[in-house]
Amino acid sequence: MIKKLTFLVLLVAAMSLATTLTVIGPWAGTEMDKFVPVLNEFTKQTGIDIEYKIYRAEDLVNVLPAQFLSKKAPGDVIFMWANFIREYGKKGHIMPLGNVINSEEYLPGALNAVTVNGELYGSAYTGKVKPGFWYRKSFFSEHGLKVPTSWDEFVGLLEKLKNMPNLNAPIASGNGVGWPLSDVTEHFLATFGGPKLTYDLIEGNILWDSYTVRNGLEKLASLISKGYFGEPTEWTMALQQWWAGDYALYFMGSWITGMVDDPNDLGVFALPGAKGVVFGADYAFVPKYTKYPDEAKRLIAWLCGREGQTVQVSQGGHVATVKGIDLANYPPVDREIAKIIQGVTALPDLDDTIGGEFQTTFWDQLKLLWVSPDRLDDVINVIQEKAPRR
Amino acid sequence: MKIRRVALNIFAWTIALIWIVPFVGVFMTTLRPLDELIHGWWNFDSFHPTLENFASAWNHPTAALKKGMVNSLIVAIPGTLIPLMIATMAGYGFSRYRFPLRKSFFILVVITLALPQQTIAIPIFQLMNSLNLIDSYLGLILLHSAWGLPWITFFMRNFFTTIPVAAEEAARIDGANDIVIFFKIILPVALPAIGSACALQFTWVWSDFFLALILIYSPNKLLITQRIPLMRGVYNVDWGLLSAAAIIVMIVPILIYLLLQRYYIKGMVGWSLK
Amino acid sequence: MPRKRGSKYAAFFLLPALIMLAVFVIYPVGRTAYISFFDENGTFVGLKNYSKVLTSREIIDLSGFSRGFPLGALVHNIIWIAIHLPLTIILGLSLAVLLKGVKGGSVIKSIVFLGMVMPMIVGGVMINFMFDRNLGIVNAFLGLFGFQAKSWTVYPDSALLSLIFGSVWLWTGFSVILYSAGLETIPKDYYEAAELDGAGPWKTFTKITIPLLKPITVVVATMTLLWELKIFDIVYVTTAGGPGGASNVMALQMYICAFRALDFNRAAVVAVILTLFTLLVSIPLVRSVRDDKR
Repeated sequence: MIKKLTFLVLLVAAMSLATTLTVIGPWAGTEMDKFVPVLNEFTKQTGIDIEYKIYRAEDLVNVLPAQFLSKKAPGDVIFMWANFIREYGKKGHIMPLGNVINSEEYLPGALNAVTVNGELYGSAYTGKVKPGFWYRKSFFSEHGLKVPTSWDEFVGLLEKLKNMPNLNAPIASGNGVGWPLSDVTEHFLATFGGPKLTYDLIEGNILWDSYTVRNGLEKLASLISKGYFGEPTEWTMALQQWWAGDYALYFMGSWITGMVDDPNDLGVFALPGAKGVVFGADYAFVPKYTKYPDEAKRLIAWLCGREGQTVQVSQGGHVATVKGIDLANYPPVDREIAKIIQGVTALPDLDDTIGGEFQTTFWDQLKLLWVSPDRLDDVINVIQEKAPRR
Repeated sequence: MKIRRVALNIFAWTIALIWIVPFVGVFMTTLRPLDELIHGWWNFDSFHPTLENFASAWNHPTAALKKGMVNSLIVAIPGTLIPLMIATMAGYGFSRYRFPLRKSFFILVVITLALPQQTIAIPIFQLMNSLNLIDSYLGLILLHSAWGLPWITFFMRNFFTTIPVAAEEAARIDGANDIVIFFKIILPVALPAIGSACALQFTWVWSDFFLALILIYSPNKLLITQRIPLMRGVYNVDWGLLSAAAIIVMIVPILIYLLLQRYYIKGMVGWSLK
Repeated sequence: MPRKRGSKYAAFFLLPALIMLAVFVIYPVGRTAYISFFDENGTFVGLKNYSKVLTSREIIDLSGFSRGFPLGALVHNIIWIAIHLPLTIILGLSLAVLLKGVKGGSVIKSIVFLGMVMPMIVGGVMINFMFDRNLGIVNAFLGLFGFQAKSWTVYPDSALLSLIFGSVWLWTGFSVILYSAGLETIPKDYYEAAELDGAGPWKTFTKITIPLLKPITVVVATMTLLWELKIFDIVYVTTAGGPGGASNVMALQMYICAFRALDFNRAAVVAVILTLFTLLVSIPLVRSVRDDKR
């Protein structure tokens, strides 16, 4: 009897121990405050406790490979770059999720970045959209400006802006590590080469000096050489200057809504003819070495499913990758952005998806292009050297 | 003659001004909100000083300098004391004993003094990985200790050659062995030189960026210098914050310099001039 | 004069240091040199990695001479030396002489020396700041003469030069301190004798000060060269070698190869080339130790 009782106690203890999962994500501060409610909701529904640890992807990339080699993992559900998930999925360190995640339920293309040969190694969580050029509605109405609906109108608008006094340049250029420039570039490539071009570049099906790529880049370079883009300035500083009226347009992701004094004054337009916008989703995976594979799978399916994403988007600043979330769940400023991506293809972020040496080279070369547009040929050559190739 | 002297003084102080203006700029940027700075920190149309940037750098959500300061001390203190001990002994050994290959060994030490850290980076990374010392302070402390050895050995050996051996000989006649002599007689005499080496080694370990960059990865373990680039990381470039961080990180070596100026300069001069 | 006796004590004093050096410095150096001759699968490839690296445009980019920066990391290091070394020596020497006869000279010396005291990573932040379009004092100053403000570090033609001049600001303190110490050692009567002979200040400077300070100049030059070859933090934190590689240097290129591209063999080659340069530079140092009779 006592034996049985001890066994029972041990069993209960083991079970209660078994239900603390570790989630690793990059969010700290206010971003974390918006994420924790999602985890709390899961605990409330399932009784499984969750511990949240902050590790940014840049740090994880150094920690995880060594841990994987010794068959360990620092967490049960880990948020990480898509290219990392693909790479280590292929190497067998990551649990396939095909049986718990149904890609039909996600926006078209949302899971491509974590799929290798038809096998799903991660899932898409919510994300941030990079919809196009932002402007202040008050600035546009004050100067009688209109949102362009064709390439010619766009160039016309820039020319008009360029001749306005008191303006540094029509478009602010965000400097920094390099992603603000690459976001603009990807938008030009996807607009003039079509949404499929992004995937072809990721997979190395197309060369950077092909006509299609060159055409998009030349359009961009021609605008730079006419002085429509300002000098690269640290992007938060550029944001201040743009808001203060030193620039008229600013290409930025949807997080801009949380960074300005009056989000209701914000308007945004994509390049006329854009059929895809970059949707920088956050991706998560379950490492093979988790102690609780079933619970971890259940957690990732819930987080990335409709329920988890609904809680996250209602906190503001995020857009869902899963289909069928009512727009009413979004705070008002985010609704417009959520609307933009309905009807266009959601593209993965080009350089984030490829990663590695390509990414740093790409950023660095774009910084060069921005100040020396006449060196487009050099830029293309160097990028091609580091680009993925079939 | 007097005019010439005045002119020279003015010229010299102008140079001092040029050298100090960047520091003033960083201070100004730290003390003022970003929107006051977009037309230059020397523009005083509006002026609302605040210490907020210091507070936010100190408690930064992803790269708190508070933690970085503690971590850097955990590394820098043993990273100073260990090589100081070992290299003082080695410097003494080189100055007092004759043995085969003495000169060759010493030249080897001098050559390692010239090496760039990049030369050892890859094997060190692999070695530490196999010892499971990646992302551990122990690994970094050992590495800093080894890396500091050549110059401290060189410096201390040059110091010891200037010290007469008479006192040691006397002690030896009284029956003391060499180890006792070293600890009882030599170390007290060498304290000023050790102080100089200590000030410099501590500053250099504190200031190191590269070795930490290749060995320490976990966000909560990052040293203070590693947190500086994070302040201008992907999503938070803020000049005010960055300037505040820069000031906090440099305050420790500058304090050491100001407090130990004499030793510091002696060390710097002696280290290079012998 | 070292004693001949007591080799067991010699071992006690020297072995800890020598063992640590062997494990953490000597072995890694040898290992780096070793893997520079192998490919990623461990196959011996002779000098193939070297020819690959030396012909890559990241290291030497001759077309840059007609087109403009980048010229390759190795060339950038050489340019760094060509500009920074003479400035360090001239500024250090002239400031040391100037400050000797000036009220508050030691305070000014301390100010100039501040650049040496702060971590280089902070120095990089300060340089970035100086050359910024909106916040930089360089633009404010040039603006007085009617120059158009710009962020000097974002243009390929000025990025490297900005960093070099910024590094002069950081490093001059070193040569000032050394030359000042050297000036103290020159006996006063040399100058008095020269004055009696009717030599002017310029003549005393070139005939007495410079020749007597020659050993110091050798040390300053050696240490400065080593510093220039090892430049890393400043570039890492300001431009990360950009734009388009226009301010890349060898130490950074090694880091990029090793820890970004994860190509250890290529990185080892870059490290070995860099090391050869530093060894070349340290010859006077080694020679003075070899000839040292103590």
